[in-house]
Amino acid sequence: MSDDLSILLLTLRVAAIATLLILPLGIFAAWHLARRRSPGRTLIETLLSLPLVLPPTAVGLLLLEALRKSGPIGRLLDQAGVEILFTWKAVVLATAVMSFPLLVRPVRTAFEEIDPRLIAMGRSLGSGPVAVFRRVALPLAWRGILAGTLLAFSRALGEFGATIMIAGSIPGRTQTMALAIFQRTHIGQDEGAMRLVGVTVVIAFAAVWTTEILTRRRAQRTSA
Amino acid sequence: MRKFLGSLSLLAAFFALGLADPKPEILVFGAASLNESLTDLGKAHEAKTGTKVVFSFGASSDLARQIQAGAPADVFFSADTARMDVLEKAGLVRAGDRREFLSNSLVVVVAADSTLKVTAAGDLANLPKIALADPASVPAGIYAKKWLTGLGLWDKVEPKVVPTLDVRAALAAVESGAIPAAVVYRTDAAVAKSARISFAVTNGPEIVYSVAPVAASKSPKAAEAFVAFLAGPDGQAEFKRRGFVIRGSK
Repeated sequence: MSDDLSILLLTLRVAAIATLLILPLGIFAAWHLARRRSPGRTLIETLLSLPLVLPPTAVGLLLLEALRKSGPIGRLLDQAGVEILFTWKAVVLATAVMSFPLLVRPVRTAFEEIDPRLIAMGRSLGSGPVAVFRRVALPLAWRGILAGTLLAFSRALGEFGATIMIAGSIPGRTQTMALAIFQRTHIGQDEGAMRLVGVTVVIAFAAVWTTEILTRRRAQRTSA
Repeated sequence: MRKFLGSLSLLAAFFALGLADPKPEILVFGAASLNESLTDLGKAHEAKTGTKVVFSFGASSDLARQIQAGAPADVFFSADTARMDVLEKAGLVRAGDRREFLSNSLVVVVAADSTLKVTAAGDLANLPKIALADPASVPAGIYAKKWLTGLGLWDKVEPKVVPTLDVRAALAAVESGAIPAAVVYRTDAAVAKSARISFAVTNGPEIVYSVAPVAASKSPKAAEAFVAFLAGPDGQAEFKRRGFVIRGSK
Protein backbone atom coordinates (compact mmCIF):
# COMPACT_ATOMS: atom_id res chain seq x y z
CA MET A 1 0.00 0.00 0.00
CA SER A 2 2.80 2.44 0.83
CA ASP A 3 4.17 1.55 -2.61
CA ASP A 4 0.86 2.59 -4.13
CA LEU A 5 1.04 5.95 -2.39
CA SER A 6 4.59 6.69 -3.50
CA ILE A 7 3.71 5.70 -7.08
CA LEU A 8 0.72 8.07 -6.94
CA LEU A 9 2.83 10.91 -5.54
CA LEU A 10 5.55 10.41 -8.14
CA THR A 11 2.94 10.39 -10.91
CA LEU A 12 1.24 13.56 -9.64
CA ARG A 13 4.60 15.30 -9.25
CA VAL A 14 5.97 14.58 -12.69
CA ALA A 15 2.61 15.36 -14.32
CA ALA A 16 2.42 18.67 -12.44
CA ILE A 17 5.98 19.66 -13.32
CA ALA A 18 5.48 18.71 -16.98
CA THR A 19 2.25 20.70 -17.17
CA LEU A 20 3.81 23.76 -15.54
CA LEU A 21 6.79 23.57 -17.90
CA ILE A 22 4.69 23.52 -21.05
CA LEU A 23 2.16 26.08 -19.80
CA PRO A 24 4.02 29.29 -20.76
CA LEU A 25 5.28 27.75 -24.00
CA GLY A 26 1.83 26.40 -24.88
CA ILE A 27 0.09 29.71 -24.22
CA PHE A 28 2.69 31.50 -26.32
CA ALA A 29 2.29 29.03 -29.20
CA ALA A 30 -1.50 29.10 -28.99
CA TRP A 31 -1.58 32.91 -29.01
CA HIS A 32 0.55 33.11 -32.15
CA LEU A 33 -1.38 30.37 -33.91
CA ALA A 34 -4.63 32.16 -33.10
CA ARG A 35 -3.54 35.64 -34.20
CA ARG A 36 -0.97 35.40 -36.96
CA ARG A 37 -2.03 34.50 -40.45
CA SER A 38 1.46 33.59 -41.61
CA PRO A 39 1.90 31.07 -44.45
CA GLY A 40 3.83 28.60 -42.28
CA ARG A 41 1.00 28.41 -39.77
CA THR A 42 -0.51 25.16 -40.97
CA LEU A 43 2.91 23.52 -41.05
CA ILE A 44 3.69 24.61 -37.48
CA GLU A 45 0.26 23.54 -36.33
CA THR A 46 0.73 20.11 -37.89
CA LEU A 47 4.19 19.70 -36.37
CA LEU A 48 2.92 20.66 -32.93
CA SER A 49 0.07 18.15 -33.19
CA LEU A 50 2.29 15.24 -34.24
CA PRO A 51 2.69 13.78 -30.72
CA LEU A 52 -1.10 13.48 -30.63
CA VAL A 53 -1.23 11.18 -33.64
CA LEU A 54 2.17 9.45 -33.73
CA PRO A 55 2.55 6.22 -31.76
CA PRO A 56 3.95 7.32 -28.37
CA THR A 57 6.73 4.74 -28.73
CA ALA A 58 7.81 6.48 -31.95
CA VAL A 59 8.07 9.80 -30.12
CA GLY A 60 9.94 7.98 -27.36
CA LEU A 61 12.47 6.52 -29.77
CA LEU A 62 13.07 9.91 -31.39
CA LEU A 63 13.70 11.43 -27.95
CA LEU A 64 15.95 8.49 -27.00
CA GLU A 65 18.06 8.91 -30.12
CA ALA A 66 18.36 12.65 -29.58
CA LEU A 67 19.29 12.31 -25.91
CA ARG A 68 21.58 9.28 -25.88
CA LYS A 69 25.14 10.15 -24.98
CA SER A 70 26.35 9.84 -28.56
CA GLY A 71 23.37 11.81 -29.87
CA PRO A 72 23.30 15.51 -30.80
CA ILE A 73 21.60 16.85 -27.67
CA GLY A 74 22.85 14.07 -25.41
CA ARG A 75 26.47 15.05 -25.96
CA LEU A 76 25.83 18.64 -24.92
CA LEU A 77 23.88 17.55 -21.86
CA ASP A 78 26.62 15.10 -20.93
CA GLN A 79 29.24 17.86 -21.11
CA ALA A 80 27.04 20.02 -18.92
CA GLY A 81 26.74 17.13 -16.46
CA VAL A 82 22.97 16.86 -16.87
CA GLU A 83 21.50 13.38 -16.65
CA ILE A 84 18.06 12.96 -18.16
CA LEU A 85 17.57 9.48 -19.60
CA PHE A 86 16.12 6.95 -17.15
CA THR A 87 15.69 9.53 -14.40
CA TRP A 88 12.50 11.31 -13.32
CA LYS A 89 13.47 14.17 -15.63
CA ALA A 90 12.97 11.81 -18.57
CA VAL A 91 9.44 11.09 -17.36
CA VAL A 92 8.78 14.84 -17.21
CA LEU A 93 10.19 15.31 -20.70
CA ALA A 94 8.20 12.45 -22.24
CA THR A 95 4.93 13.53 -20.64
CA ALA A 96 5.56 17.19 -21.50
CA VAL A 97 6.08 16.42 -25.19
CA MET A 98 3.06 14.13 -25.34
CA SER A 99 0.77 16.56 -23.50
CA PHE A 100 1.78 19.70 -25.38
CA PRO A 101 -0.76 19.48 -28.25
CA LEU A 102 -3.57 18.84 -25.80
CA LEU A 103 -2.72 22.10 -24.05
CA VAL A 104 -2.33 24.17 -27.21
CA ARG A 105 -5.58 23.19 -28.92
CA PRO A 106 -8.17 24.41 -26.35
CA VAL A 107 -6.09 27.48 -25.52
CA ARG A 108 -5.89 28.42 -29.20
CA THR A 109 -9.66 28.03 -29.54
CA ALA A 110 -10.14 30.27 -26.51
CA PHE A 111 -7.91 32.96 -28.03
CA GLU A 112 -9.71 32.68 -31.37
CA GLU A 113 -13.06 33.23 -29.65
CA ILE A 114 -11.96 36.64 -28.39
CA ASP A 115 -13.58 39.44 -30.37
CA PRO A 116 -10.70 40.96 -32.39
CA ARG A 117 -12.25 44.41 -31.85
CA LEU A 118 -11.40 44.13 -28.14
CA ILE A 119 -7.77 43.59 -29.01
CA ALA A 120 -7.82 46.45 -31.50
CA MET A 121 -9.48 48.69 -28.92
CA GLY A 122 -6.78 47.89 -26.42
CA ARG A 123 -4.13 48.77 -28.96
CA SER A 124 -5.85 52.03 -29.94
CA LEU A 125 -6.03 53.03 -26.28
CA GLY A 126 -2.25 52.99 -26.24
CA SER A 127 -1.37 49.57 -24.86
CA GLY A 128 1.51 47.65 -26.40
CA PRO A 129 1.02 44.10 -27.70
CA VAL A 130 2.35 42.54 -24.50
CA ALA A 131 0.05 44.65 -22.33
CA VAL A 132 -2.95 43.80 -24.53
CA PHE A 133 -2.09 40.14 -24.29
CA ARG A 134 -1.85 40.31 -20.52
CA ARG A 135 -4.75 42.64 -19.73
CA VAL A 136 -7.23 41.64 -22.43
CA ALA A 137 -6.46 38.27 -24.00
CA LEU A 138 -5.35 36.28 -20.96
CA PRO A 139 -8.31 37.24 -18.73
CA LEU A 140 -10.79 36.50 -21.55
CA ALA A 141 -9.25 33.15 -22.47
CA TRP A 142 -8.96 32.17 -18.82
CA ARG A 143 -11.31 29.19 -18.90
CA GLY A 144 -9.83 27.79 -22.08
CA ILE A 145 -6.37 27.95 -20.57
CA LEU A 146 -7.54 26.15 -17.45
CA ALA A 147 -9.35 23.51 -19.50
CA GLY A 148 -6.24 22.95 -21.64
CA THR A 149 -4.09 22.74 -18.53
CA LEU A 150 -6.33 20.10 -16.99
CA LEU A 151 -6.44 18.14 -20.23
CA ALA A 152 -2.65 18.23 -20.56
CA PHE A 153 -2.28 17.26 -16.90
CA SER A 154 -4.62 14.27 -17.33
CA ARG A 155 -2.69 13.14 -20.38
CA ALA A 156 0.56 13.52 -18.45
CA LEU A 157 -0.80 11.30 -15.66
CA GLY A 158 -1.36 8.44 -18.07
CA GLU A 159 1.58 8.70 -20.48
CA PHE A 160 3.12 5.30 -21.13
CA GLY A 161 4.74 4.69 -24.50
CA ALA A 162 7.22 7.53 -24.69
CA THR A 163 7.97 7.27 -20.98
CA ILE A 164 8.94 3.59 -21.02
CA MET A 165 11.27 4.25 -23.96
CA ILE A 166 13.29 7.03 -22.34
CA ALA A 167 12.73 6.54 -18.61
CA GLY A 168 12.25 2.79 -18.20
CA SER A 169 10.10 1.56 -15.35
CA ILE A 170 12.33 1.93 -12.29
CA PRO A 171 10.33 1.57 -9.06
CA GLY A 172 10.53 4.67 -6.89
CA ARG A 173 12.31 6.68 -9.57
CA THR A 174 10.56 6.58 -12.91
CA GLN A 175 7.68 4.16 -12.40
CA THR A 176 4.43 6.11 -12.73
CA MET A 177 0.90 4.71 -12.39
CA ALA A 178 0.62 3.67 -16.04
CA LEU A 179 3.99 1.88 -15.94
CA ALA A 180 3.26 0.21 -12.59
CA ILE A 181 -0.08 -1.11 -13.87
CA PHE A 182 1.72 -2.65 -16.84
CA GLN A 183 4.59 -4.03 -14.74
CA ARG A 184 2.31 -5.54 -12.10
CA THR A 185 0.03 -7.13 -14.67
CA HIS A 186 2.82 -8.74 -16.60
CA ILE A 187 4.37 -10.31 -13.52
CA GLY A 188 0.96 -11.58 -12.41
CA GLN A 189 0.16 -9.14 -9.58
CA ASP A 190 -3.28 -8.42 -10.98
CA GLU A 191 -4.74 -7.31 -7.64
CA GLY A 192 -2.07 -4.67 -7.12
CA ALA A 193 -2.58 -3.49 -10.69
CA MET A 194 -6.36 -3.24 -10.14
CA ARG A 195 -5.83 -1.08 -7.05
CA LEU A 196 -3.84 1.39 -9.15
CA VAL A 197 -6.49 1.27 -11.88
CA GLY A 198 -9.06 2.27 -9.26
CA VAL A 199 -7.00 5.28 -8.24
CA THR A 200 -6.47 6.39 -11.85
CA VAL A 201 -10.21 6.15 -12.57
CA VAL A 202 -10.97 8.47 -9.66
CA ILE A 203 -8.33 11.02 -10.74
CA ALA A 204 -9.31 10.90 -14.42
CA PHE A 205 -12.98 11.29 -13.53
CA ALA A 206 -12.29 14.35 -11.42
CA ALA A 207 -10.11 15.95 -14.11
CA VAL A 208 -12.52 15.37 -16.98
CA TRP A 209 -15.52 16.43 -14.86
CA THR A 210 -13.82 19.71 -14.01
CA THR A 211 -12.86 20.29 -17.65
CA GLU A 212 -16.48 19.64 -18.72
CA ILE A 213 -17.87 22.09 -16.20
CA LEU A 214 -15.39 24.76 -17.22
CA THR A 215 -16.08 24.37 -20.94
CA ARG A 216 -19.85 24.34 -20.46
CA ARG A 217 -19.80 27.58 -18.49
CA ARG A 218 -17.77 29.19 -21.22
CA ALA A 219 -20.23 28.00 -23.87
CA GLN A 220 -23.22 29.36 -21.93
CA ARG A 221 -21.56 32.67 -21.49
CA THR A 222 -20.72 32.97 -25.18
CA SER A 223 -24.29 32.21 -26.22
CA ALA A 224 -25.79 34.66 -23.73
CA MET B 1 -3.43 36.09 -12.97
CA ARG B 2 -0.06 37.07 -11.58
CA LYS B 3 -1.03 35.64 -8.20
CA PHE B 4 -2.06 32.44 -9.94
CA LEU B 5 1.28 32.16 -11.76
CA GLY B 6 3.08 32.92 -8.50
CA SER B 7 1.36 30.12 -6.67
CA LEU B 8 1.98 27.81 -9.62
CA SER B 9 5.72 28.39 -9.47
CA LEU B 10 5.67 27.86 -5.71
CA LEU B 11 3.89 24.59 -6.33
CA ALA B 12 6.49 23.63 -8.93
CA ALA B 13 9.31 24.40 -6.51
CA PHE B 14 7.64 22.25 -3.87
CA PHE B 15 7.26 19.32 -6.23
CA ALA B 16 10.84 19.65 -7.48
CA LEU B 17 12.13 19.66 -3.91
CA GLY B 18 10.19 16.52 -3.14
CA LEU B 19 11.95 14.72 -5.95
CA ALA B 20 15.47 15.39 -4.73
CA ASP B 21 17.16 12.29 -3.35
CA PRO B 22 16.90 12.42 0.44
CA LYS B 23 19.61 9.86 1.36
CA PRO B 24 22.44 8.03 -0.39
CA GLU B 25 21.29 4.90 -2.14
CA ILE B 26 22.36 2.59 -4.94
CA LEU B 27 20.23 1.44 -7.83
CA VAL B 28 20.61 -2.18 -8.85
CA PHE B 29 19.41 -3.43 -12.24
CA GLY B 30 18.61 -7.13 -11.73
CA ALA B 31 17.43 -9.98 -13.91
CA ALA B 32 13.72 -10.67 -13.32
CA SER B 33 14.50 -14.11 -11.88
CA LEU B 34 16.47 -12.50 -9.02
CA ASN B 35 13.52 -10.45 -7.75
CA GLU B 36 12.85 -12.06 -4.34
CA SER B 37 16.42 -13.01 -3.45
CA LEU B 38 17.90 -9.60 -4.33
CA THR B 39 15.09 -7.72 -2.58
CA ASP B 40 15.79 -9.68 0.62
CA LEU B 41 19.54 -9.23 0.28
CA GLY B 42 19.07 -5.50 -0.34
CA LYS B 43 17.25 -5.19 2.98
CA ALA B 44 19.92 -7.23 4.79
CA HIS B 45 22.65 -5.08 3.25
CA GLU B 46 20.89 -1.88 4.27
CA ALA B 47 20.53 -3.13 7.85
CA LYS B 48 24.24 -3.94 7.90
CA THR B 49 25.76 -0.91 6.17
CA GLY B 50 23.08 1.79 6.03
CA THR B 51 23.25 1.95 2.24
CA LYS B 52 19.74 1.92 0.84
CA VAL B 53 19.44 -0.45 -2.09
CA VAL B 54 16.69 0.05 -4.66
CA PHE B 55 15.99 -2.21 -7.60
CA SER B 56 14.70 -2.28 -11.11
CA PHE B 57 13.93 -5.80 -12.27
CA GLY B 58 13.37 -6.86 -15.85
CA ALA B 59 14.83 -8.77 -18.76
CA SER B 60 18.64 -8.58 -18.56
CA SER B 61 18.69 -7.58 -22.23
CA ASP B 62 16.35 -4.65 -21.57
CA LEU B 63 18.31 -3.52 -18.50
CA ALA B 64 21.61 -3.74 -20.43
CA ARG B 65 20.10 -1.60 -23.18
CA GLN B 66 19.05 0.99 -20.60
CA ILE B 67 22.57 1.08 -19.13
CA GLN B 68 23.96 1.56 -22.65
CA ALA B 69 21.63 4.53 -23.07
CA GLY B 70 22.96 6.04 -19.84
CA ALA B 71 20.55 4.82 -17.17
CA PRO B 72 21.90 5.75 -13.71
CA ALA B 73 22.34 2.17 -12.41
CA ASP B 74 25.10 1.38 -9.90
CA VAL B 75 25.12 -2.41 -10.20
CA PHE B 76 24.05 -4.75 -13.01
CA PHE B 77 23.12 -8.38 -12.31
CA SER B 78 22.53 -10.23 -15.58
CA ALA B 79 21.07 -13.70 -16.08
CA ASP B 80 23.72 -14.46 -18.67
CA THR B 81 27.29 -13.50 -19.51
CA ALA B 82 26.55 -12.30 -23.04
CA ARG B 83 24.73 -9.12 -21.89
CA MET B 84 27.58 -8.39 -19.47
CA ASP B 85 30.19 -9.00 -22.19
CA VAL B 86 28.54 -6.35 -24.34
CA LEU B 87 28.66 -3.82 -21.50
CA GLU B 88 32.22 -4.77 -20.57
CA LYS B 89 33.38 -4.31 -24.16
CA ALA B 90 31.83 -0.84 -24.16
CA GLY B 91 33.62 -0.02 -20.90
CA LEU B 92 30.32 0.44 -19.08
CA VAL B 93 30.97 -2.00 -16.20
CA ARG B 94 34.04 -2.49 -14.01
CA ALA B 95 35.52 -5.68 -15.43
CA GLY B 96 37.85 -6.23 -12.47
CA ASP B 97 34.92 -6.51 -10.04
CA ARG B 98 32.77 -8.71 -12.27
CA ARG B 99 31.65 -11.98 -10.62
CA GLU B 100 30.03 -15.11 -11.92
CA PHE B 101 29.17 -17.31 -8.94
CA LEU B 102 25.50 -18.02 -9.58
CA SER B 103 23.77 -20.66 -11.66
CA ASN B 104 20.24 -21.93 -12.16
CA SER B 105 18.40 -24.56 -14.18
CA LEU B 106 15.39 -24.67 -16.47
CA VAL B 107 12.03 -26.32 -15.78
CA VAL B 108 8.78 -26.61 -17.70
CA VAL B 109 5.78 -25.32 -15.75
CA VAL B 110 2.04 -25.80 -16.24
CA ALA B 111 -0.90 -24.33 -14.33
CA ALA B 112 -1.31 -25.91 -10.88
CA ASP B 113 -4.67 -27.43 -11.85
CA SER B 114 -3.57 -28.45 -15.34
CA THR B 115 -4.30 -32.00 -16.51
CA LEU B 116 -1.79 -31.78 -19.36
CA LYS B 117 0.71 -34.59 -19.66
CA VAL B 118 3.91 -32.75 -20.44
CA THR B 119 6.74 -34.91 -19.22
CA ALA B 120 9.40 -34.63 -21.91
CA ALA B 121 10.71 -32.03 -24.33
CA GLY B 122 8.97 -33.78 -27.23
CA ASP B 123 5.57 -33.06 -25.66
CA LEU B 124 6.11 -29.30 -26.02
CA ALA B 125 5.69 -29.53 -29.78
CA ASN B 126 2.15 -30.87 -29.28
CA LEU B 127 0.97 -27.92 -27.20
CA PRO B 128 -1.06 -25.17 -28.89
CA LYS B 129 1.09 -22.46 -27.28
CA ILE B 130 4.11 -22.15 -25.05
CA ALA B 131 5.33 -19.03 -23.24
CA LEU B 132 9.03 -18.16 -23.40
CA ALA B 133 10.88 -15.05 -22.41
CA ASP B 134 11.59 -13.55 -25.85
CA PRO B 135 14.17 -15.98 -27.31
CA ALA B 136 15.44 -13.22 -29.59
CA SER B 137 16.97 -11.29 -26.71
CA VAL B 138 16.04 -12.35 -23.15
CA PRO B 139 18.46 -14.81 -21.47
CA ALA B 140 15.80 -17.25 -20.17
CA GLY B 141 14.38 -17.54 -23.69
CA ILE B 142 17.81 -17.85 -25.25
CA TYR B 143 18.69 -20.71 -22.84
CA ALA B 144 15.39 -22.46 -23.63
CA LYS B 145 15.96 -22.07 -27.36
CA LYS B 146 19.49 -23.45 -27.02
CA TRP B 147 18.16 -26.47 -25.12
CA LEU B 148 15.44 -27.23 -27.69
CA THR B 149 17.76 -26.58 -30.62
CA GLY B 150 20.20 -29.11 -29.16
CA LEU B 151 17.41 -31.69 -29.14
CA GLY B 152 16.45 -30.85 -32.71
CA LEU B 153 13.01 -29.70 -31.53
CA TRP B 154 13.24 -25.93 -31.98
CA ASP B 155 11.77 -25.88 -35.50
CA LYS B 156 8.68 -27.69 -34.21
CA VAL B 157 8.30 -25.61 -31.06
CA GLU B 158 9.06 -22.19 -32.54
CA PRO B 159 5.64 -21.65 -34.20
CA LYS B 160 3.97 -22.24 -30.81
CA VAL B 161 6.11 -19.72 -28.93
CA VAL B 162 4.46 -16.70 -27.32
CA PRO B 163 7.41 -14.40 -26.54
CA THR B 164 7.13 -12.42 -23.29
CA LEU B 165 9.02 -9.39 -21.95
CA ASP B 166 10.88 -11.38 -19.31
CA VAL B 167 10.87 -14.78 -17.65
CA ARG B 168 8.39 -13.74 -14.94
CA ALA B 169 5.91 -12.69 -17.59
CA ALA B 170 6.14 -16.18 -19.10
CA LEU B 171 5.39 -17.62 -15.66
CA ALA B 172 2.49 -15.17 -15.15
CA ALA B 173 1.02 -16.18 -18.51
CA VAL B 174 0.82 -19.78 -17.29
CA GLU B 175 -0.48 -18.79 -13.85
CA SER B 176 -3.28 -16.76 -15.40
CA GLY B 177 -4.32 -19.80 -17.44
CA ALA B 178 -3.77 -17.97 -20.74
CA ILE B 179 -0.93 -20.22 -21.92
CA PRO B 180 -0.75 -23.96 -21.09
CA ALA B 181 3.01 -24.18 -20.42
CA ALA B 182 6.22 -22.16 -20.14
CA VAL B 183 9.94 -22.74 -19.80
CA VAL B 184 11.26 -20.81 -16.78
CA TYR B 185 14.02 -21.12 -14.18
CA ARG B 186 13.63 -23.56 -11.32
CA THR B 187 13.74 -20.60 -8.91
CA ASP B 188 10.81 -18.93 -10.70
CA ALA B 189 8.69 -22.07 -10.29
CA ALA B 190 9.58 -22.01 -6.57
CA VAL B 191 7.86 -18.62 -6.10
CA ALA B 192 4.87 -19.43 -8.33
CA LYS B 193 1.48 -19.34 -6.65
CA SER B 194 -0.60 -21.27 -9.16
CA ALA B 195 1.86 -23.09 -11.40
CA ARG B 196 3.74 -26.33 -10.84
CA ILE B 197 6.80 -27.96 -12.33
CA SER B 198 5.80 -30.43 -14.99
CA PHE B 199 9.32 -31.66 -15.56
CA ALA B 200 12.85 -30.44 -14.97
CA VAL B 201 15.26 -29.89 -17.85
CA THR B 202 18.24 -32.20 -17.28
CA ASN B 203 20.46 -31.61 -20.28
CA GLY B 204 20.04 -27.87 -20.77
CA PRO B 205 22.79 -25.32 -21.47
CA GLU B 206 24.91 -24.06 -18.59
CA ILE B 207 23.28 -21.05 -17.00
CA VAL B 208 25.69 -18.43 -15.67
CA TYR B 209 24.65 -15.17 -14.01
CA SER B 210 27.02 -12.24 -14.05
CA VAL B 211 27.18 -9.25 -11.70
CA ALA B 212 29.38 -6.15 -11.81
CA PRO B 213 29.44 -2.53 -10.62
CA VAL B 214 28.52 -0.05 -13.34
CA ALA B 215 31.48 2.11 -14.36
CA ALA B 216 29.53 5.39 -14.33
CA SER B 217 28.20 4.81 -10.80
CA LYS B 218 28.34 7.89 -8.58
CA SER B 219 28.73 5.63 -5.53
CA PRO B 220 31.46 3.24 -6.72
CA LYS B 221 32.44 2.17 -3.17
CA ALA B 222 28.86 1.33 -2.22
CA ALA B 223 28.27 -0.49 -5.51
CA GLU B 224 31.44 -2.55 -5.03
CA ALA B 225 30.48 -3.34 -1.43
CA PHE B 226 27.05 -4.62 -2.47
CA VAL B 227 28.53 -6.86 -5.19
CA ALA B 228 30.97 -8.26 -2.61
CA PHE B 229 28.09 -8.81 -0.18
CA LEU B 230 26.09 -10.73 -2.81
CA ALA B 231 29.04 -12.98 -3.64
CA GLY B 232 29.95 -13.40 0.05
CA PRO B 233 28.61 -16.00 2.52
CA ASP B 234 25.37 -14.10 3.33
CA GLY B 235 24.53 -13.68 -0.33
CA GLN B 236 25.34 -17.23 -1.26
CA ALA B 237 23.25 -18.61 1.61
CA GLU B 238 20.21 -16.60 0.50
CA PHE B 239 20.58 -17.63 -3.15
CA LYS B 240 20.94 -21.29 -2.12
CA ARG B 241 17.84 -21.01 0.05
CA ARG B 242 15.93 -19.79 -3.02
CA GLY B 243 17.07 -22.76 -5.10
CA PHE B 244 19.95 -21.22 -7.05
CA VAL B 245 23.18 -23.15 -7.56
CA ILE B 246 26.50 -21.67 -6.45
CA ARG B 247 29.32 -22.17 -8.94
CA GLY B 248 32.99 -22.36 -8.05
CA SER B 249 33.82 -18.63 -7.99
CA LYS B 250 35.49 -17.17 -11.04
